[in-house]
Amino acid sequence: MRAFVTILVDSIRLLRARALFWVSLGISAFVALLYLSIGFDEKGMSLLFGAFDLEIPLLAKGSAGVELLYLGIFRNFIVSWWLTWIAIVIALVSCAPIFPEFMLEGSAGVALSKPVSRPKLFACKFVGALLFIAVQALLFAVIVFIAIRWRVGTWNPSVFWSVPVVVLVFSYLFSVLVLLGVKTRSVMASVLLTLVLWFFCFIAQSGEAVAHSAAQGNSITGGRLSEEERARWEKVHQWARLPYLMLPKPGETTALLDRWIVLDGGGKLGESTFDAMKRDGRIEGLDDEMKEDLERHSPSWIIGSSLAFEAVVLGLACLMFSRRDF
Amino acid sequence: MVEGPAVEIEYLRKRYGGFEALAGVALTVPRGTVFGLLGPNGAGKSTLVKSLLTIVRPTECRGRMLGRPIGDRATLRDVGYLPEHARFPDHLTGRQVIGFSAGLAGVPAGETRTRTAALLERVGMKDWGDRKLGTYSKGMRQRIGLAQALVNEPAIVFLDEPTDGVDPEGRIDIRQMIERLRDEGRTVFVNSHLLGEVEQVADEVAILAKGRVIESGSVEKLTRRGRRYEIRTVGPVPPVRRAGLEREGLAVAGDTVSMDAADALPLQPVIDLLRASGVAIREIREARDTLEEIFLKAVQGKEAA
Repeated sequence: MRAFVTILVDSIRLLRARALFWVSLGISAFVALLYLSIGFDEKGMSLLFGAFDLEIPLLAKGSAGVELLYLGIFRNFIVSWWLTWIAIVIALVSCAPIFPEFMLEGSAGVALSKPVSRPKLFACKFVGALLFIAVQALLFAVIVFIAIRWRVGTWNPSVFWSVPVVVLVFSYLFSVLVLLGVKTRSVMASVLLTLVLWFFCFIAQSGEAVAHSAAQGNSITGGRLSEEERARWEKVHQWARLPYLMLPKPGETTALLDRWIVLDGGGKLGESTFDAMKRDGRIEGLDDEMKEDLERHSPSWIIGSSLAFEAVVLGLACLMFSRRDF
Repeated sequence: MVEGPAVEIEYLRKRYGGFEALAGVALTVPRGTVFGLLGPNGAGKSTLVKSLLTIVRPTECRGRMLGRPIGDRATLRDVGYLPEHARFPDHLTGRQVIGFSAGLAGVPAGETRTRTAALLERVGMKDWGDRKLGTYSKGMRQRIGLAQALVNEPAIVFLDEPTDGVDPEGRIDIRQMIERLRDEGRTVFVNSHLLGEVEQVADEVAILAKGRVIESGSVEKLTRRGRRYEIRTVGPVPPVRRAGLEREGLAVAGDTVSMDAADALPLQPVIDLLRASGVAIREIREARDTLEEIFLKAVQGKEAA
């Protein structure tokens, strides 16, 4: 336990020493403040603490759409863009040198000559690096939690689901970064290859989703495919499923927030968004079939299969780290 | 307390692919002594130390350290280590570096604070303990490195090139610290290429070349082997007398006559002979090979072999 605390404290010190951590945290705070600056009054919505007023009666204070919009901005802009893309890229770049630097001659010796096993040292270093993104996500969640109370009038603890979700997504990618870092000891190569893998995950996930939709003949294809074409798509789907199964699912993991963030009345954020869009008739052809298609994988399957990938990658990295001469 | 040598290597071999870094080393380090491991660059000194500390995985290893098999992780609780070219993060203070080492060694937090303060004082860094390493000189970093190696109050300390980059005053301080560690009953294992320094402080040495121990023993024993007497005359030894002395197997160079001898007795007839020839004697002294000379002879002998 003492060794774990020591490495954790060391990781915090390392974070504090990295300029990128503070830059990233500063931007996070700025984005959160922008979010906080969105207000609602009797006429509609205001931006930048009332600097700009938008007269939208649908979004007048107390109306049903306010909470949905406010949480939707959090989910679709802040979490989807800032926390799961930009902040994670910054975190990957910042955390990339942790293992290669640790493995330099003269650096590893002190830690490895202590009575702490290498796998434990490896695990502590890994967990310590997750703090980078956890601190940012937590800061965000706290500000958003307060903002929702201030602007919408409800306490919504479900926004804190964003913290483990963002940390999970980061951990999938960071495991690959660590493996590459241990193997190549090159910061640049490991970052670039991790970004390439992230792109492959996106392609695999999109490809599988499109192939599945086409094979099912659902709303995306409007059921216009012939039986023969559907059979062909079924085969395509079987092939497309392979890389999808093997790779982690960062996009789908983030999308779990639609299921886990709930509104004041108890409805899920995702379902409420669908319902609202259907009510307004703004998306043609949107129906329950599509909703089912998007939710066809359970959270435990999405996270479990991604963690299985992460476990294999980390196991390999740990093995290499444990067997290496320094 | 467990008796027996601090380190007893029966057989240690390490291969890196086709390169044999250690080709079956055997050596013993007595407890409570300062042990110097000498050798040219690439001899395998650091590999040997790293093998004992589990930083390098030996290809084959039999032996014991502090009474337990080499490689036993629990032993490392009683071991301190200052690596060669030690790198500590610039963003940490000296106190934090020592604290990190203590934490990994399992020293309780309260105890760590007390020991850190004492160690900072001991290595002459009391006023610098709360400054970041980025502001330190090489010598100061080395002092902090030494302090972190001692924070778990180890029974044996491995110091790999401890005076590397340290100024002459700092070297003397480090030498005194090593002597103090020995006085406290600890074993100090020093890897160094600075033979003069090792000679001043070490009780036992081993010379490593191309992965093998080619010479080992106490400094006293090794240097005794090259014991001789030198007679220095006023002006050069006359050529006639010189030829006679050389025929008897003595070495004459200018004003110096050298004679290998265990004691001064065989020297007396030479003194008489020189004086009878009217040669004035300026100085008579007992000389020994320095560790450097022994080292060079051993390494060159090994290379020739």
